[in-house]
Amino acid sequence: MIKRTMQLWAVVVFSALISFPAGAGSSKAIRLATTTSTANTGLLDYLLPKFEVKCGCKVNVIAVGTGKALKLGEDGNVDVVLVHARPAEDAFVAAGYGVDRRDVMYNDFVLVGPNNDPARIRGEKDVLAAMKKIADAKWKFVSRGDDSGTDQMEKSYWKALDINPAGLPWYFSAGQGMGEVLMMSGEMRAYTLTDRGTWIAYREKIGLPMLVQGDPRMFNPYGIIAVNPKKYPSANYQGAKALTDWITSAEGQKLIADFKVGGEQLFIPDAK
Amino acid sequence: MYMGLTEATLQAFRWLLEGDLTIWGIVWVSLRVALLALLAVTPLAIVAGFGLATLQFPGRRALIVLMQTLLALPTVVVGLIVYLLLTRNGPMGSFELLFTQQGMVIGQALLAFPILTAMTLSAVQGIDARVSETARTLGASPLRASFTVLLEARFAVMAAIATGFGRVLSEIGCAMMVGGNIAGVTRNITTAIALETSKGEFAQGIALGVVLVALALGVNFGIAFLQGKGEIK
Amino acid sequence: MTPLLSIEGLRKAYGDRTLLDIKCLELQRGTSYLLMGDNGVGKTTLLRILAGLERAQAGNFTFDGVRYDEAPARARLAPRMIYVHQHSYVFNTSVADNIGYGLSGLPKSEREARVRVEMAWANLEHLAEVPPYRLSGGEKQRVALARARVLKPELLLLDEPTANLDDAAREQVAELIRHMRDANNCVLIATHDHDLMKLEDVVKMRLEQGRVTA
Repeated sequence: MIKRTMQLWAVVVFSALISFPAGAGSSKAIRLATTTSTANTGLLDYLLPKFEVKCGCKVNVIAVGTGKALKLGEDGNVDVVLVHARPAEDAFVAAGYGVDRRDVMYNDFVLVGPNNDPARIRGEKDVLAAMKKIADAKWKFVSRGDDSGTDQMEKSYWKALDINPAGLPWYFSAGQGMGEVLMMSGEMRAYTLTDRGTWIAYREKIGLPMLVQGDPRMFNPYGIIAVNPKKYPSANYQGAKALTDWITSAEGQKLIADFKVGGEQLFIPDAK
Repeated sequence: MYMGLTEATLQAFRWLLEGDLTIWGIVWVSLRVALLALLAVTPLAIVAGFGLATLQFPGRRALIVLMQTLLALPTVVVGLIVYLLLTRNGPMGSFELLFTQQGMVIGQALLAFPILTAMTLSAVQGIDARVSETARTLGASPLRASFTVLLEARFAVMAAIATGFGRVLSEIGCAMMVGGNIAGVTRNITTAIALETSKGEFAQGIALGVVLVALALGVNFGIAFLQGKGEIK
Repeated sequence: MTPLLSIEGLRKAYGDRTLLDIKCLELQRGTSYLLMGDNGVGKTTLLRILAGLERAQAGNFTFDGVRYDEAPARARLAPRMIYVHQHSYVFNTSVADNIGYGLSGLPKSEREARVRVEMAWANLEHLAEVPPYRLSGGEKQRVALARARVLKPELLLLDEPTANLDDAAREQVAELIRHMRDANNCVLIATHDHDLMKLEDVVKMRLEQGRVTA
């Protein structure tokens, strides 16, 4: 009876293991690491099924910050990355981890905050001036704090202002995705820097108006980079190439332009 | 468009009753991974717990203390360890298990192991010494005598399995880090709740929370029923 | 005649206190023994040492001409020699499964037939499928005796088999003693039950200050 029980256990565990669906590790699926802004706005849910039908493959999306996404590419844990942080992207390619970087689209960053605007930044054209006012007013500011593209952009503003807000009582480093940070900022009536797309998708829920936009320094370009097959021969380079080609093709670009939330276009295609 | 708790809950039940495929698919991932993790780890944990309870060997006390300490191990730490094991440059990278259900099974099995072991240990320690003496004097081999002791402890061991199931079903740290929350592949109940909450989609989060509670209830009722069958006849 | 069981130079001590110090003890086939003595003199310990459930500091143990000082030899003796606890543990299965426990190696039909015989003997037929927590103390004792008897042991070590039990249990034990004697087997009963002491055709021994006296 003991022996029979053990045999039964072995058979069940084994058959359950081999019956797994093709996971992200299978060679057929394309593993895409991307930023929370593309996933949370619903853009990928809208784009990828169309690509999957076209190429007859499956795309597994791992939505993290830009920093983590690039790290996943560096370690060969994904096949392709779609991110927004140009200096980090260039470093990624220069170090030999990625190949074929292509522009995909852009949106822009905006500063949002409480409607009564205690730091008086509404309508400010210069993002650095607006950030300085927030720091001077010592009003609550929520930072992503997760090394994402948005986080890196925000840090670059503080650096340009020669302000180090880390640890100051009005500065909250959340360590979370864009959606969470917008929800937090809404609850706390705080300022935050966000990409326009995610803010449009969330604005109904959080009730924070856009206060500053249009500074060229807030331009937010997205790039797609395949993981270098020379570095990781088992990476699905063909799949990554197919996705890159499709998303920068006339068809992919038109779909991006057509993607709307609440009647507004979130991303502007700019593949060359 | 703020959605109140009542409204979100109602919407949640509507989805569940309509058989929303996305939601039930997510539930299926949770169940499948948790059950398989338990299936794989339970026999090993029972043997380990039994051994710790009955064998005398150097380092036994230290192992027991270690096991009890592991009970308090945060799931994200287990997730991090498994991530580092499974990452392509890691020791098990060539198996390509990161961001797969198999990887999640490994993580959750590691999470369940200390609970099952520690609870089996105390279950077996709670069994009367006369059980193994009686078995041996009636001619049972050491293996059969051990099995008899385990049978006497079966309800406590089942409770251990139920507790382990609850732990792996409700954990998020490991599932998120090792699974990667990939829609349709590794998105399970807890990672989906985290995602939906971050998107402000509370209704779907609540729907999944309801399922989670229902599953936990179901398991505990099942155990209570089995125990009842054993005691009231 | 070679004794069924013999021990020489048995010594059992807890720290400085010597509990048992037995130079020689022999048990013969076809004989029943009553081991009497006050509470705490070591009757239970002696039975458990004989059964191999506890270790002594010293002693030579021979069963049916074979030495069994070491664990492997002791293990092989079960179930030719069976020890029954004072308050027996009945496994949390059915009464029938308890009685058939030691017969697991036999074909199902033979096992069931032998279990039926024992249940009839112990008057347990109406309780065959009852779980143990529904049994009275006397019923549990009858299950334990039947569970041992079904294996046809050559030596039964019974520890206070009638403690706190009624006359029916006493009659059961007396019946078991006769049965064992008729089969040329041996019973050693530790007891301080005066009614059992009235039994005839039993060899009475006393355990006092670590020694066994007639």
